[in-house]
Amino acid sequence: MNETSPIPPRFLTKRELKSLLGALIREYRAYGPVDSDGVPAFSALTSSAELRFDLSPTHLSAREFLLPSKETLLKFDLTESGPGVVITPVVEAQPQVIIGLKPCDINGMALMDSVMAAGVRDVNYLKRRAATIIVGVECLPDETCFCASLGTERAESGFDLFVHLLPTRGVLVRIGTEAGAKILKKYAWGRKAVKAEIVKLEEHYELKLGAFKARLNALPEELPGVLAASDESPVWQSIGSICTGCGACNHVCPTCYCFDVSDELSSDLKSAERLRVWDGCTLDDFTLVAGGHNFRKSRAERLRHRFNRKFNYGSERFDSLFCVGCGRCSRTCLVDINITEVTNAIIKEVKESRG
Amino acid sequence: MASKSTSIESPYLPVPVTIESVESISATERLFRLSNGLASSRSKVSVKGGKGGAPVYSPGQFFMVGLPGYGEAPISVCAPYEPGFGIELCIRLAGNLTGALHRLGPGDTLWLRGPYGTGFDTEGFKGLDIIFIAGGIGIAPMRSLLLAVLKERKSFGALRLLYGAKSPEEVLFTEETEQWQEAGLETEVIVDKGSKGWKGRVGLVTDLMGPLKPTPGSTRAVVIGPPVMYRFVVAKLKRMGLSETDIQLSLERRMKCGVGKCGHCQINSSYVCQDGPVYGLGDLKGMGEAFK
Ligand SMILES: Cc1cc2nc3c(=O)[nH]c(=O)nc-3n(C[C@H](O)[C@H](O)[C@H](O)COP(=O)(O)OP(=O)(O)OC[C@H]3O[C@@H](n4cnc5c(N)ncnc54)[C@H](O)[C@@H]3O)c2cc1C
Ligand code: SF4
Ligand code: SF4
Ligand code: FES
Repeated sequence: MNETSPIPPRFLTKRELKSLLGALIREYRAYGPVDSDGVPAFSALTSSAELRFDLSPTHLSAREFLLPSKETLLKFDLTESGPGVVITPVVEAQPQVIIGLKPCDINGMALMDSVMAAGVRDVNYLKRRAATIIVGVECLPDETCFCASLGTERAESGFDLFVHLLPTRGVLVRIGTEAGAKILKKYAWGRKAVKAEIVKLEEHYELKLGAFKARLNALPEELPGVLAASDESPVWQSIGSICTGCGACNHVCPTCYCFDVSDELSSDLKSAERLRVWDGCTLDDFTLVAGGHNFRKSRAERLRHRFNRKFNYGSERFDSLFCVGCGRCSRTCLVDINITEVTNAIIKEVKESRG
Repeated sequence: MASKSTSIESPYLPVPVTIESVESISATERLFRLSNGLASSRSKVSVKGGKGGAPVYSPGQFFMVGLPGYGEAPISVCAPYEPGFGIELCIRLAGNLTGALHRLGPGDTLWLRGPYGTGFDTEGFKGLDIIFIAGGIGIAPMRSLLLAVLKERKSFGALRLLYGAKSPEEVLFTEETEQWQEAGLETEVIVDKGSKGWKGRVGLVTDLMGPLKPTPGSTRAVVIGPPVMYRFVVAKLKRMGLSETDIQLSLERRMKCGVGKCGHCQINSSYVCQDGPVYGLGDLKGMGEAFK
């Protein structure tokens, strides 16, 4: 992921792109968006023909490939007891490539990287991340996407290669890292893009920016302040009263990373594992402690926390918002709690109260 | 505590420590004295700071204490660091892991990683009067601070401990409190509900605060207790004229990693496992979730 002095974009024919993707799928464990019974989903790939770059963001984000939903942190050999127990940390990272990551997800992954690298380094995540090649693909929004409201509709870094499908016959490939350049040189170097082709990129962004149906009615830099002023808002009560606490909004989010840790004993009691599994701040027992006290007692408080984590708290800790506008949480919520609608209601209230 | 000798440096890798003694100090609490340094182990683990060296920690900090197969839990140090001596932990029987820990005895092994979190700035207390207010198991972390302060008794002003427990049976360190008293710590204990033979006071810990006449600026108040306690105690301290810089507290939250990743301990934008558990009252400004 070393940033290099930028190599100008390359032009590849559709056929060259196909052979590049085919080679990656052959050489690596590769994942990419496919149509899974009508649902866009990341899937292990066997052929580039399975890939679909024209779909809405996948149901689940690509988090699974870097922070698996269930992961062994430690293995315990309990053959001997006491200090005789042998503990082996498990840090697995196999080379893999994720194809078709959209700008929102690339920006989301960069946030995840900064969390996992801050302070005590989470080597399990970071090793996997370092072994991962990212091939981004440009896209157009569906009716729920709102990345343009957060400035995450473009990916400037965080990828090895980034593919722009041109309206004409070929594609433009931007090179983000040395590893990306190497791969491109090896499998499909194409030719240097000409000015007329690079101009097409800006034309695409103009088209993209005009295509959003969902928007936030505040600037990204206004959001932390708005959320900070919303503690007592009745909006939290109103969405809290319909939320089922299912945790799906956490589950699908590319920038949610909370986890639970617990041990599992084997049935013969000779070994055990310390596992981490995804957890979610909207689940009822997330802040429950022994003795029965729950620090966020109501769904309203839990949703307020989630929205603050996305639009406020991260700005202090990581100097960034933690929502990338993919719209997954809105698409998945069974009771139609929609992140842009809720946030706009909060924005309206706070702006009105400020006069 | 990074592992030096392993090829993989997992932040989740604990080290084994031998239990030297276990003392049952109430029906539900046990005091574990650990031996100094690490147990020799077949796992490739070592602690930063040297061969068999015990970790150095401050009062108020905690370790993630665990047993293979049972999980881990945050447990505060119960005594201050002293070269040549092991860690002391006071553990309440609360569930699965703590239940398994309570079945251990001298010579057994437990596993820990840490220390984590912020500790108390004992140096910063020097020359000041200190009011310690503890509730329930909060006396365990408080003890690490009390003992650190009493070790250098002359460097501090008037010292007073107000300690509330649910019942006389749940009052911890009863014999020790007498020693603390002799060492120059004025101690008052109160229980929610008395029982036969209890000659002490009955009521809430706030009831002990009436006679306090703290001098703002030259007094520090330290509060550790169950969630319900903070709001009332802090309000009362403020009414007595203490300011935000005069009040320090230690907060409890659910914790699963101790290293700022799992998200469980978050209060507004603060991670209790890293920015806490010890906070100055001023640090909690604007954090509406702190006293929930
Ligand atoms: C900073 C800090 C310092 C502490 N210091 C001490 C100390 O010095 N001494 C002491 O005795 N205790 C201390 N505690 C509390 C101690 O960590 C808990 O009592 C301990 O986690 C209980 O673990 P357990 O496995 O025995 O309990 P269990 O009840 O089995 O709980 C295991 C985990 O699951 C959670 N949990 C509990 N019930 C449920 C439920 N119904 N559903 C889902 N999850 C649940 C708990 O919060 C815990 O994290 C401290 C806590 C913190 C945060
Ligand atoms: S997906 Fe909807 S119902 Fe489920 S926890 Fe999130 S907001 Fe609540
Ligand atoms: S909060 Fe919702 S819209 Fe924002 S990044 Fe997460 S899933 Fe996407
Ligand atoms: S305990 Fe995991 S983030 Fe604090």
